[in-house]
Amino acid sequence: MSNSSFPVPMLHSTIRIMAPFLLAALGGLFTELAGMLNIALEGLMLIGAFFSVVFAAATGSLFLGIVLGIAASVAAAYVFGFISLNLRANVFITGLATNLFAEGITVVLAFQIFGNKGVIRFENLARLPVLSIPSLQRIPVLGDILVGHNVLVYVSWIMVVVAAIIIYKTPFGLRIRGTGSNPGAVEAIGLSPKRYRMYAILISGFTCGLAGAILSLQMGAFVPGITAGRGWIALVAIYLGNKTPLGIFIACMVFGFAESFSNYAQGAIDVPADFILSFPYIITVIAMIGFSIVQHYRLKGSDT
Amino acid sequence: MAYLQMHGITKLYPASGVLANDAVDLSVEENEIHAVIGENGAGKSTLMKLLYGLEQPDAGEIHFRGKHVAIRDPLAANRLGIGMVHQHFKLVPDFTVAENVVLGMEPRKQGLFIDRQSAVKDVTKVIEEHGFSIDPKQKAKDLTVGQMQQVEIVKMLYRNAELLILDEPTSVLTEQEIESLFATLGNLLSRGKTIILITHKLDEVTHMSHRVTVMRGGKVVAVRNTSDVDKRELSRLMVGKDILLQVNRGPTTYGDTVLEMKEISIRCRGQERPLLDRIDLQVRSGELVGIAGVGGNGLAEIEDVIGGLRGATQGSMFLNGVDVTSFSSEQLREAGLAYVPADRLHRGASLPSTVRENCIVTKHHDFLRAGVLQRRDVREFTRHLIDQFSIAASEGMPAGNLSGGNIQKMILARELSGQSNFILFSEPTWGLDIASSQFVYEKMLELRERGAGVLLISSNLDEILGLADTILVLYRGRVVGRLENTDTLSKEIIGEYMLGLRDDSHGPHETNQTEVRRG
Amino acid sequence: MAKQRVAKLLSTATGLILTIAISFAIVILLILVLSDEPGRAIYFFFIGPFTKAYYLGNMLNQSIGLMFTGLGIAVAFKSSTFNLGGEGQAYSGALVATVILLALPNMPGIVGGPAALIGAVVIGAFVAGLSGFFKMRWGTDQLISSFLVSSAVILIVNYFVTGPLDDPTNSMLTTARIAEQYQLLLIFKPSKLDISIFFAVATAIGTYFFMQRSHWGYEMRMCGINREFSKYAGINVGKYLLVPMAISGGFHGLAGGITVMGTHYRCLKGVTAGLGWNGIAVALIAKNNPLAVIPAALFFAYLDAGAKAAMLHADVTFELAKIAQGVIFFLVTAQALYGLFDSKKKRKKVAR
Repeated sequence: MSNSSFPVPMLHSTIRIMAPFLLAALGGLFTELAGMLNIALEGLMLIGAFFSVVFAAATGSLFLGIVLGIAASVAAAYVFGFISLNLRANVFITGLATNLFAEGITVVLAFQIFGNKGVIRFENLARLPVLSIPSLQRIPVLGDILVGHNVLVYVSWIMVVVAAIIIYKTPFGLRIRGTGSNPGAVEAIGLSPKRYRMYAILISGFTCGLAGAILSLQMGAFVPGITAGRGWIALVAIYLGNKTPLGIFIACMVFGFAESFSNYAQGAIDVPADFILSFPYIITVIAMIGFSIVQHYRLKGSDT
Repeated sequence: MAYLQMHGITKLYPASGVLANDAVDLSVEENEIHAVIGENGAGKSTLMKLLYGLEQPDAGEIHFRGKHVAIRDPLAANRLGIGMVHQHFKLVPDFTVAENVVLGMEPRKQGLFIDRQSAVKDVTKVIEEHGFSIDPKQKAKDLTVGQMQQVEIVKMLYRNAELLILDEPTSVLTEQEIESLFATLGNLLSRGKTIILITHKLDEVTHMSHRVTVMRGGKVVAVRNTSDVDKRELSRLMVGKDILLQVNRGPTTYGDTVLEMKEISIRCRGQERPLLDRIDLQVRSGELVGIAGVGGNGLAEIEDVIGGLRGATQGSMFLNGVDVTSFSSEQLREAGLAYVPADRLHRGASLPSTVRENCIVTKHHDFLRAGVLQRRDVREFTRHLIDQFSIAASEGMPAGNLSGGNIQKMILARELSGQSNFILFSEPTWGLDIASSQFVYEKMLELRERGAGVLLISSNLDEILGLADTILVLYRGRVVGRLENTDTLSKEIIGEYMLGLRDDSHGPHETNQTEVRRG
Repeated sequence: MAKQRVAKLLSTATGLILTIAISFAIVILLILVLSDEPGRAIYFFFIGPFTKAYYLGNMLNQSIGLMFTGLGIAVAFKSSTFNLGGEGQAYSGALVATVILLALPNMPGIVGGPAALIGAVVIGAFVAGLSGFFKMRWGTDQLISSFLVSSAVILIVNYFVTGPLDDPTNSMLTTARIAEQYQLLLIFKPSKLDISIFFAVATAIGTYFFMQRSHWGYEMRMCGINREFSKYAGINVGKYLLVPMAISGGFHGLAGGITVMGTHYRCLKGVTAGLGWNGIAVALIAKNNPLAVIPAALFFAYLDAGAKAAMLHADVTFELAKIAQGVIFFLVTAQALYGLFDSKKKRKKVAR
């Protein structure tokens, strides 16, 4: 690998790696804005990953697989929301439950259907179509980095815009944000905060389903625990991205880059991969502390 | 039939057993400002919650514009044309004024998107029509309190409210803001709106309203045309007749100063009016000082400052000569503070914990041997307190199972067990029955006779007048009256101070106080 | 008074029983759908752990770590502080204990062992204490910060285990093996059950007394129930944002150290994975009562053991346990479920 070409494949893979983070984080943004800590992203992604690849193989259609995978993830999100909101369970604990349940159900079903708890390959599954625009690809560097990914990567970019429009331009977004910021204000005008929280949870089910589909379909296989903590990273990206779609895009790029860099740096640079992977967490915690310090001193003087 | 007719409205809160509204009748004519006045706990807020659909009455009917209506929730009230401006604003801090106003009824374009332009336009129209001074594009968190209130009013007007309920609208406003609110109300009136003004401020009633309904103890005691009454009569109607407490307040001699406040102030960011404004206060041993005032005028803040739960932004405080201005609650306790808080259910007691745990909380260090709480000592101590104060409880019971009177006895027992020479009592008999109140009074007088300094913060004038040697009256965070409790002092006089009709800190005395202490 | 206690206990118990019953029902349903020999699978899922000393011993062994992490979470929750970083705290404890033991290969067990455990406790307490400190000082959200710190710590520990401390003679990603004298005594061979189960039970009892009877325990509980009351009464409430976190982290570190010394004898990559999350479940089932942590941990381990037995003897897979645990997790905090059998009046009180 020559020094000059080293960053380009690394950046190319950054773009690929960040797509699932981005989708899950955008869904999580809705729940976050509605005032809920959504721990369930990881589990919802896992369910999306499993069902999309299984249904894609069963129906022979990638599209149907994705749709049904999303449906499964949304259904799981509904259960998560129903128990949290209607049975008034602690949303954080039910989030953990969703993750545990997803880990269990995917493997149990995989074992049942395929008699195998390891990697399940779907050999004759079509690959995700790759966007290839030769004219754009000819642009030096940028063309190599940005073009030539599978279509879902571009869908995730579109979702950034869609999320921004929904959040900032529609009445629905206004109400979601109002619910999180001051549920009392929303209730006082006769809207139900609970209902908007449920909508937010279902949206997170949708995007996590899609995020999961990317993971399994780009491999053409399901691996138990295929999400490998990506849902958690997505959650962190929401905080690092300061709870805005664009911020999340950048935060996911940071995480994607860290992962990509650690892959490429192994052997090339003298920084251990695990350290690189831990940087985004450390950055996030420092950002959070910085934010609370600012808050702390702003509030000081008006109250104890 | 009147524009709005509430008839026989009754509301009982079963948890506390308070009959908040007892067969209340209220009739409001179209296009009038109708004031509903009464002391804290008179039932006016409950009545308005029922009218706005926030709660449902146990009995009674509401007729609005000639129709019998059932108001299930605020949305139903809005649809009928009833709007409410809450005392505590319900705004989303990060939203602009326009966004806050249109939230839930957003104008749209292409069916999907918020039409921000027409939102701003519509809101601007309402703002201009009524002469408000707010910018629709400003963020709610950057507004002054007065402006926030304007947003709330605009919110209701945007929803086409014809009848506006304003709950204590001036309690957080500055003088200028009050002026502009009054101008707004006049403007609304000229546009045919009807206004119900909940207040306990007589100035507002006489300035603004056409008619006034006076409530006391959950009942309507009078309905008058404002032009037919003066403030003194309203004040008398509100506070009721003097009730002579069955207490025997003997003479004492004052000793050293035990608690002193010098120029204590609390100012909040974004609020012009300080919550406490240069309070000077002195309690000597053997003296019972009463602080009177209507809620929201600084009583709670004085309690918090003395208890170490809130720091003053200015001034200094001394306990037994020690400068305790910057002390934490922990240090204040060590310095000898004993204190019976107004909020006895959350601050004064931990309801899920046992009586034992409640009794030892301020002095659990005394029960440690080698770092271990000595259960026998704790039990004996608790039993001793239970006996001494005849608390109807057993030591292992959760405090939440005790009656209100017994919870208060438990708090008293705990706070008095330390033999402090200064004790603060804040609203010590609020919600208690007569026997329990009597018990509290006797304990306070005992302390005073024992030579302790006692500070009583209370909005109950009867107890202030029956117990205190010296009376300070707070109005809008200021001490407006500093009175010796003599035979000539009456509830009506204190009431007039409390309601802002008299103010010694600015104007001259209106009556001649004889400086003779009752012996 | 006794009557009310019994009523409260009953209400808690019915909620728990209902939760567990629903999770069992879902497991049975799944087995009926999925298995070709459902009778056998159900038998081994529920009875399996008691059919062989080996299963029973391993089940008890698995409960040890859960008791420690469950206690850690119970102490934190009881004080109304939130520790989401159990995974990292336990893992760092495992690493530090291993490092200490590897550094002292010739020390008598009675000296090196405790030194290793103290090291594990200290590192766990430090990792968790960071979040407590941030909260105390600046009000930084504990839930998120403890999770973030833990995530970073896991990666850093991974680096040490797979990098500088990797045992080149072993194909697994792991450190070298600790010396024999540090390996805790096995008491129920051939299972992996070791002597530390007595320590775990004693710790639970000790924690119960600490919370009930000690000065700190009392103040922590008061802060947990009602911070305003505690502040009013002169308790240093700021301190109790930090102290319970540190104690909680210490317990997690201990769990990590014990796992190395009692079961694996080396710090494998991910050796404590799951202990942190499952500790939360254990604490919740125990309703944060340290004594109840003992049966709750046993129950949690029983679900795992049952699923393992069912896997070995029938045609279902081990992950059934995760589904059962997930369902319990789902419902264990559902207030609606716990209010179900309360008297009407009481429910109203809660709703208000």
